[in-house]
Amino acid sequence: MAYNKPIPDPEPYSTQPFWDGAKQGKLMLPRCTDCNRAHFYPRIICPFCHSRDIEWFEASGEGWVHTFAVQHRAFGGWADEAPFVTAYIDLKEGDRMFTVLRGVDAAKPDLSWVGKKVKVEFDEANENVHVPYWRVV
Amino acid sequence: MPSNPSMSAAIVGAAESDKIGYIEEGTTSQLLAIQAISNVCNQVGIKPSEIEGLYATNTTNSIAEYLGIKPKVIDTTSVGGCSFVMHVHHAMMAINAGIIDIAVVAHGEAGWSGARKNQGKGTYRAGPGDPWQADVMWVNPYGTTGAPSQYSHAFTRHMHRYGSTQEQFAQIAVTTRDWATLNPRAIMFSKETNPAGGKIGISDVMNSRLISWPLKLLDVCLVTDHGGAVVIASAERARSFWTKPVWIAGAGETMSHQNMLEMDDFTATSARRSANVAYKMAGMGPREMELAMLYDSFTITAGITAELVGLTKLGEGPSLWEGGKAGPGGSGIPVNTNGGGLSFSHSGQYGMMLLIEAYRQLSGTAEDGVNGLPGKQTNAKTAIVNGTGGVLSVTANLVLVADD
Repeated sequence: MAYNKPIPDPEPYSTQPFWDGAKQGKLMLPRCTDCNRAHFYPRIICPFCHSRDIEWFEASGEGWVHTFAVQHRAFGGWADEAPFVTAYIDLKEGDRMFTVLRGVDAAKPDLSWVGKKVKVEFDEANENVHVPYWRVV
Repeated sequence: MPSNPSMSAAIVGAAESDKIGYIEEGTTSQLLAIQAISNVCNQVGIKPSEIEGLYATNTTNSIAEYLGIKPKVIDTTSVGGCSFVMHVHHAMMAINAGIIDIAVVAHGEAGWSGARKNQGKGTYRAGPGDPWQADVMWVNPYGTTGAPSQYSHAFTRHMHRYGSTQEQFAQIAVTTRDWATLNPRAIMFSKETNPAGGKIGISDVMNSRLISWPLKLLDVCLVTDHGGAVVIASAERARSFWTKPVWIAGAGETMSHQNMLEMDDFTATSARRSANVAYKMAGMGPREMELAMLYDSFTITAGITAELVGLTKLGEGPSLWEGGKAGPGGSGIPVNTNGGGLSFSHSGQYGMMLLIEAYRQLSGTAEDGVNGLPGKQTNAKTAIVNGTGGVLSVTANLVLVADD
């Protein structure tokens, strides 16, 4: 079935390696070569030490649920899926991503989901954009 | 030579637009702001041409042009609902620097009419934005739909970290509604004025429709049309008007993030820092506050803010409202005496409503009692006023004190 959710429009100047990696099922993250810290969302300047020397590396694709919510009100392609769970993910390499969380029952929200281990997976939205999702393992 | 700006300026008047609430015939954000400016100028006894500094989130030069005035300071700081509380800080700085003597902070927002006009064209505020902006690229594709769908993540984290409960936060909505039943201007004043109005209980909040778990409908603010304005004057001018001054003893502002992706601690805004700056400037602390106006876009917003401005211990914010003690006749500090964004009015940016109610309380003009009701006037002589903007992103705090 065609992907019917909003599709990110990749900004080529500072995010292209992310989307190139996503097409191959890899989670690519930017990292500062001066302070060695990874960050997300991708930037042209390190938000920790303000160096402009940023490189990309393949991350583990693992993390933990930092917090979550259950969306009961949604529009467009998401309306059909409500209720669904959204979550902020603590990446193993540091910093966070937002996602729709898979592998949990939206009808039974449980605070014990916070801290659960998750893994990334990618949905093909179109030939250029594969959207990352995280699943409780 | 730097000087402490504390008490260098006062709020000397506060007024609303001609109508507030659900304006059936429709209106615009600018019209609401113009009405409020006109009303507040009449209240204090100045002409709009005497306004030397104009502060708004609507394009300020557009308001000035409409009024036919040419202010010396124009400021369109627009960082969310707290902006108006920040504007007071900015106006005080300009006054303390000797650049201006009279400023107006104005708000107009057709939150309800605007949304209605745009029905079927997407919501009027959550526009698509630049597709390459971080939140549009990394957050919006996951089906969140504006403020409630994001604030809920903070609510979950608070419950996880501190063991707080939905019922504790529900009490905030209940107590805030109690205040609204003393304010005839409040949307939720009574069942007669609004079928959903009048008193509510914790079970009403718990059983209201799920919006974004753990937020239920009654944890969420209203969406209305609203305009308001306050006049700020230098200490030299503050007693020369028809109205009483309410002194700006302290002010502070700061931020932690814009996008929740960058919110380090989901249980805290930057209000601890902005409040501490304000308290320090005022030479006062939270124990000396006799009224709290805490931005309540959601119960979670007010609940955590109570902790961060020092009114409770960390993690115990909702205890401020426990058993209704922040409500009318309660044993604690009165909080959100206008009925709050939850039950009075909230157009999208609520900061001005905080300022107007704080001014009324501390100038002794908050009496809205009708039909023999006691009204909502308290004996407070000091107030902490906290604005929160964005997605728990930006905060501004004021410490206000009544005139001698």
